[in-house]
Amino acid sequence: MAGHAKAPPTVSDINVTPLVDVMLVLLIIFMVITPLLQKNISVDLARTMNPRAMPDDDREDAIEVAITRDGKTFLKKNPVSVDDLTAKVRDMISGRLDKTVYVRADARAKYGDVTKAVDAVRAAGVEQLGLITTQIERPGNISVSP
Amino acid sequence: MAMAVGGKKGAMGDINVTPLIDVLLVLIIIFMVITPRIPHGLDALVPQPNKDKQPDESVLNRTIVVTMDAQRQVAINQQPVDIRGLGDKLIDIFKTRNDRIIFIKGDPTLTFGDIAQIIDIAKGAGIDKIGLMTAAVEAGK
Repeated sequence: MAGHAKAPPTVSDINVTPLVDVMLVLLIIFMVITPLLQKNISVDLARTMNPRAMPDDDREDAIEVAITRDGKTFLKKNPVSVDDLTAKVRDMISGRLDKTVYVRADARAKYGDVTKAVDAVRAAGVEQLGLITTQIERPGNISVSP
Repeated sequence: MAMAVGGKKGAMGDINVTPLIDVLLVLIIIFMVITPRIPHGLDALVPQPNKDKQPDESVLNRTIVVTMDAQRQVAINQQPVDIRGLGDKLIDIFKTRNDRIIFIKGDPTLTFGDIAQIIDIAKGAGIDKIGLMTAAVEAGK
């Protein structure tokens, strides 16, 4: 039996490409999951054709009042009663130049609930509101039921 | 020591395209996910009470108030209007006016979406200042 040379010890270089691939996909998954896990109040926004961009609503110090379909009010993601709303908003706008309050109301929230919240905010001295909605493209989407 | 090395040394061989496209597509997806979504909305006003004397008659007579009652019937200053014609009617009214201001009053049992629709139509008709006629606004006026 001829002496075969021993096979060299197996050394495996890690294939970098599949590694990078899998890592990037995991990264994407976490980037998509994380915003959804934040405490986000579920509000179905009204659909409108002519909203304007309101980038100030994204700011840390933006005053956002959310009104859900069953009429619960939230101030910056924290539940609040309409009576407390005036005092809290007054605190938040004291010393600010831009006294705009953003209202993120569910499209099916009762207008009466929205009015109560708006009145409370107005009592704190606010005049300018930004009603947050989503933008739709096709005009045929608005259901105009007589 | 024999050169028991497999594979070519020296210049790189042909690049494998498939993993390249794979990684590039994944990077594209990442940048698509990163793009910030800017909130959009409609401006509305809730005027503070007028501390001075009452506004004079001419101002009160000229205000355009769009109302929607519980049956979702729209009216401009008490005149019923079909909602489909609301936009054109508003454009008509404001052809001769400089002050593009309207007030919107809605029945409390309506949904916010109904009122948002009216505000939307008004914005489409070119009205910049839309006031919400809430109970407090009406009382303080």
